[in-house]
Amino acid sequence: MEGVVSNLLLGFSVALTPSVLAYAFAGCVIGTLVGMLPGLGPLAGISLLLPATYGLNPIIAIVLLAGVYYGAMYGGSTTSILMSIPGEAASVMTCVDGYAMTLRGRAGPALAIAAIGSFIAGTLSVVALMFLAPTLASFALRFGPPEYTALLMMGLLVLSYMSGGSMAKTLTMATVGLLLGMIGIDAMSGYTRFNYDVIELSDGIGIVPLAVGMFGLSEILLTAGQPTPPRVQKPTLRQLIPSRDEFLLSVGPIARGSVLGFLIGIIPGSAHIISSFVSYGVERRMSAHPERFGNGAIEGVAGPESANNSAATGAFVPMLALGIPTGPITAVMLSAIMVHGISPGPMLITEQPELFWGFVASMYVGNVVLLILNLPLVGVFVNLLRIPYSYLYPAILCFCILGVYSVSSSVVEVWIMLGTGGFGYLLRKLGYDLAPIALGLVLSPMLELSLRQSLAMSGGSYAIFFDRPIAVTMFVVSGVLILLALKPLVFKSKDWRSKVGLDEQA
Amino acid sequence: MSEPSATGAQGGLRSDQISGVVFVLIALLTAWENRSYPLGSLSEPGPGYMPLLLAIALGAFGLLVALRGSASPLFNTIDWTESKRGIVLLIACGVGVFVLERIGYRLTMIALLVFMLGVVERKRPLPTVLVSFGFAFISYFVFATMLKVQLPQGPWGL
Repeated sequence: MEGVVSNLLLGFSVALTPSVLAYAFAGCVIGTLVGMLPGLGPLAGISLLLPATYGLNPIIAIVLLAGVYYGAMYGGSTTSILMSIPGEAASVMTCVDGYAMTLRGRAGPALAIAAIGSFIAGTLSVVALMFLAPTLASFALRFGPPEYTALLMMGLLVLSYMSGGSMAKTLTMATVGLLLGMIGIDAMSGYTRFNYDVIELSDGIGIVPLAVGMFGLSEILLTAGQPTPPRVQKPTLRQLIPSRDEFLLSVGPIARGSVLGFLIGIIPGSAHIISSFVSYGVERRMSAHPERFGNGAIEGVAGPESANNSAATGAFVPMLALGIPTGPITAVMLSAIMVHGISPGPMLITEQPELFWGFVASMYVGNVVLLILNLPLVGVFVNLLRIPYSYLYPAILCFCILGVYSVSSSVVEVWIMLGTGGFGYLLRKLGYDLAPIALGLVLSPMLELSLRQSLAMSGGSYAIFFDRPIAVTMFVVSGVLILLALKPLVFKSKDWRSKVGLDEQA
Repeated sequence: MSEPSATGAQGGLRSDQISGVVFVLIALLTAWENRSYPLGSLSEPGPGYMPLLLAIALGAFGLLVALRGSASPLFNTIDWTESKRGIVLLIACGVGVFVLERIGYRLTMIALLVFMLGVVERKRPLPTVLVSFGFAFISYFVFATMLKVQLPQGPWGL
């Protein structure tokens, strides 16, 4: 405990320096805007900002990008509540009861509870991150290539099991991502694969063009040409205050959403999205009056909004402790610190204490900043929603080109973005989840390398995966997940997606 | 996400059946392209081993999606109304990328925005020109001048 306190003090000494504070603030503001604007989710926002962080020091870079991430979680609720337009996917569930409250003239309390829930969940999850990440990192020092192989395989299976859509479709997407990750130089043999004499492809397909294409461009292709949004309500400060009943009804959902979100955040997949669906399902099930859900139940705002913020922080645990991204957002953030020559992995926390603890402390600061931005200043941000989308999306498209070109000053990357954008559009029309592609792309080289290193260690024997207890445990978990996925097929029962209402929303 | 207008007993192929088969074809193509890389052996995999394994997995999952696709929406009921605009935007961006390093960042962005706002969205000339020039020059100033990001310059240093 004493160690944690002294480390946290070190963190605050970093986070409260004017430059870090300024960038944390900038990240939160940009994140809030990104969360509010349809067509620009946190992943596309972070990817576009990535080149701008190359000239910054790694602490500032990660603080800025993390601010965008959890800022988007806060900001996403505003458009959901006021206009029933989810600024980003994690806010879909907030639309249901949040917008119903707006129609009943209770937009202010809905916004306030969303911001307060996000603040409490965000703060509690940072406390959990602070204690869990160093413990997990010291445990992961025992990991060798076989454990990493098992962990990555398990991660991909958990992702598929926990994804919102069908497991077969998610596995297909993950495999497409893994195959895309095969493009470029093979680290073990030096062979260049599938580059078709395009020199830029020798380094493989980057996460940024793929992420911006799949998540930014494809969204614009889907939404461009939509009718002008309806008139936006602008609640005053007085109207934001929830009633005593609304406040009391929100306490339980906020607490449950915080815990649930953090736990879901740790496991791979689109955690911030899934957590909000699961939280909504749990709250509806636990409610004495489930019929209120869908008609403006404050619990339907408090739970999902707390959960998606908590999940955003939970996703940092494996990223910082193991150096393994659990989703495309953390993958882009890892690349931001790798650009500065910092190797992610279990040694990161001990070798770069200023980075880790500065980052943790900056999240406490960021949560306070976001509470201020999303309560008293919500009216200022709401003005942005008055810009017609027909002006907004061409500018976002140009930003996509600018951001991707900036990464390596290469038009090939921009062509990749356009290609993946078109491909992503088709996949979304056909009901595929795109997150596994991005995760597969990042994990693919790691998985191949660790598999081949394991076999090199054992002289070609696959028994190495079953001789090591940690690897065996992970493979057993993977096996259990496969059985759980098969259960609804064999017994014709409902799977967890139907139970939490993900099927209804898909 | 598209909304099917009907998923009843109408004839025709389902979206998952079509997409599943496409993934099987992609898997076959990948396996074919993978011939040029040494496979190695089970105990000592070569550079072609993992791609082949993944191509087989993709084929299997694609087949599974196709076989289980009877509950998915009929392909011809998927609403593609926004696709025409999407294709125009993609082509415009493609032309923009083609000329980006030839005529420079600012001229490319001005041309792209004038096309998207003026032609695609049919906005009035004055706001179109203001937004296009404003975006091109302000974003260049922020990224190239302040953040030192290298952006291509065209004729007359634009």
